[in-house]
Amino acid sequence: MAYVIAAPCIDHLDQACVAVCPVDCISHDPAADRKAYIDPEGCIECGACESACPQGAIMLDRRLPPAWAAFAEIDRGWWIDPEWARDAVDAVDTQAA
Amino acid sequence: MVAEIAGMSLVGRPIAGGPRGVRRAPDLADNAVLVARELLSPTVARLVVRPDAGIGAFVAGQYLALGVRIDDRVVQRPYSTASDPATADAHEFLVRRVPDGALTPRLWALPIGTRVRLGTPKGAFSLVADDRRPHLFVATGTGLAPFLGMLRTLARRPNPPRTILVHGAARMEDLVCGDEIAALAAGGLPLLYVPTVSRPDDPANGGWRGRTGRAETVLASVLRSVNLPPNGLAAFLCGNPGMVAAAEIALLAGGVAPGDIHAERYWTAPGDPSAAGPTLVAGQA
Repeated sequence: MAYVIAAPCIDHLDQACVAVCPVDCISHDPAADRKAYIDPEGCIECGACESACPQGAIMLDRRLPPAWAAFAEIDRGWWIDPEWARDAVDAVDTQAA
Repeated sequence: MVAEIAGMSLVGRPIAGGPRGVRRAPDLADNAVLVARELLSPTVARLVVRPDAGIGAFVAGQYLALGVRIDDRVVQRPYSTASDPATADAHEFLVRRVPDGALTPRLWALPIGTRVRLGTPKGAFSLVADDRRPHLFVATGTGLAPFLGMLRTLARRPNPPRTILVHGAARMEDLVCGDEIAALAAGGLPLLYVPTVSRPDDPANGGWRGRTGRAETVLASVLRSVNLPPNGLAAFLCGNPGMVAAAEIALLAGGVAPGDIHAERYWTAPGDPSAAGPTLVAGQA
């Protein structure tokens, strides 16, 4: 279980979550990414990021609404294959539009 | 092209299959040394950790992640620093041993000199510069840690404000650092120290002659006894989320303005019934 950063983060990237995460498990590439990503293997479920996010983009994976369910896998995937995760974000965003 | 991600159909994107490659772990290299460990009670220890690059900038009350490499993975937990930024060359942490925890049994057994991982100082739980109003600190257990740093900071001020520290614990043995707190008062800090045990009938508390009751339940009588107007207080709460919530309610009911209440809710391991509320940092396990 871990927190996940979902669609409202896309193109906002406020990064308040990065500032409060006690275990530094949130990251992104400013030159390439449209959102930030939580490392599910590092997340300790403290919830600091959820409270800090001004977009309401962060929640526990088990509480993701169906429309955002893909973001659990996208966050996990970014730490393996960032290009795959970026394409997935673009696809989800396009679909939402 | 159609791809599937967690059951969603993503149309028109070259993302067939899942991510490919090897997981890139975050950069969590060891960057500090455990230089001391002092048992303060059977369940609470003070750990002193010195960063390789020096103590750096921080403010009293902030938290840092302390991590240990276990099976090729860094297991981290956030802890409030008890250090005074002006004088410390290392961070002091109060750590409660959780018998089945993923980290604290390791921390208690770690040889002095072991290299560990220390995160950057974070959090906004801190003193307000030049606030001359009386300060009320309410802690449970190791929630005392940030207040040690704050009290040390206040003690250096030429005219420190009047301070009250209420420290609650289930067992009297966990009312740690009493001598240090007394020394701060003896050194000139105008401090009223109010330790209280929440389980006076526990055999472990035999001989206790101080206050009894949970920290939040003694607040009203403490404030009455010192004749402090509630609208002139800066209140700081730290520790068990249940205590913080109850103390907030008690202070608000007593007339303390919401903006004058600063709270740090301690994180507890997922599934721990003592956890409550979403904003939990600096913790246990």
